Amino acid sequence: MHELGLVFQMAKVIEESLAGEEDITAIDTVVMEIGEISSVVPHYFEACFPAAADRCPLFAGAKLVIEKIPAVARCRSCGEEFPVVENKGYCPACGSFDKDLLSGREFNIKEVAVR
Amino acid sequence: MEFKVIEIKQGILSANDREAEGLRRELREKKTFLLNLMSSPGSGKTSTLMQTIPHLSPTLRIGVMEADIDSDVDARTVSATGAQVIQLHTGGMCHLDAEMTRQGLNELDLDALDLVILENVGNLVCPAEFDTGSVKNAVVLSVPEGDDKPLKYPLMFTVADVLLVNKIDAAACFDFDLEVFTQRVHTLRPGIPIFPISAKTGEGVEAWCNWLREQVRQWQET
Repeated sequence: MHELGLVFQMAKVIEESLAGEEDITAIDTVVMEIGEISSVVPHYFEACFPAAADRCPLFAGAKLVIEKIPAVARCRSCGEEFPVVENKGYCPACGSFDKDLLSGREFNIKEVAVR
Repeated sequence: MEFKVIEIKQGILSANDREAEGLRRELREKKTFLLNLMSSPGSGKTSTLMQTIPHLSPTLRIGVMEADIDSDVDARTVSATGAQVIQLHTGGMCHLDAEMTRQGLNELDLDALDLVILENVGNLVCPAEFDTGSVKNAVVLSVPEGDDKPLKYPLMFTVADVLLVNKIDAAACFDFDLEVFTQRVHTLRPGIPIFPISAKTGEGVEAWCNWLREQVRQWQET
């Protein structure tokens, strides 16, 4: 139940971030950024999301929006930037596997809409 | 209905990472070294402890936290070594986070301990994501699991500070190539020490224990 633990972590970060805000009665929407090759399965994260209300009542009835971030890398041999997944990790220009990942591992809380 | 959008822009694990940093600061003040021991189920974390504790207990005061989803089998086994042992139940969760680790540490008498070993839940995936507040992470990989595990679970080998290759006494029965394995590990984590051991025969355990004793000494001196 990896995703459940992450939902609780998310609730904690948001609760701490909102601690300074006044007059918040409920969280309407949480917007997450999940990288294409992060270790999180968005589907399971969605399934576990309602459990956030167990940790913090502000989450009762909240909606979840997931923005997926594509995995992009820069080849260390030729400098080409390429999408990782469709090329199975190999540079399409020169065939090298040696690369720096520019994006795709994110698992961030982008923003929340509150009322 | 009026909405207000608040930017958070934080990694989901940022709260856990802060908690873990706080824990490490407290451990440094107490001069207690926390080792996070991770592996897949059945690699031999508990039997490695059963070999390690008697080697170190003449010079170090040792506590053990056994994390399991819901059993106390390992805690019973390890308590035979005479170390202070507590059982943590993760309640269905596949890993420990820094807060759960802190709850466990609160049950131990840290002033009377040089080394606390946290035996994490057997799992090569989730525990790698959560910083427990440990000073060092040790990963046990056993020979029957195969030398390709660093390719399949790269994050676990990236967060490791030391690797134990257990069941080395059974190497003749398996196609485990230690040289290939070492290369694969060092691609992810250049230069980390790798100790082949047998928790059954005791082979290699002394070298591993010497390394750990030295780590504890350095932590206590700084």
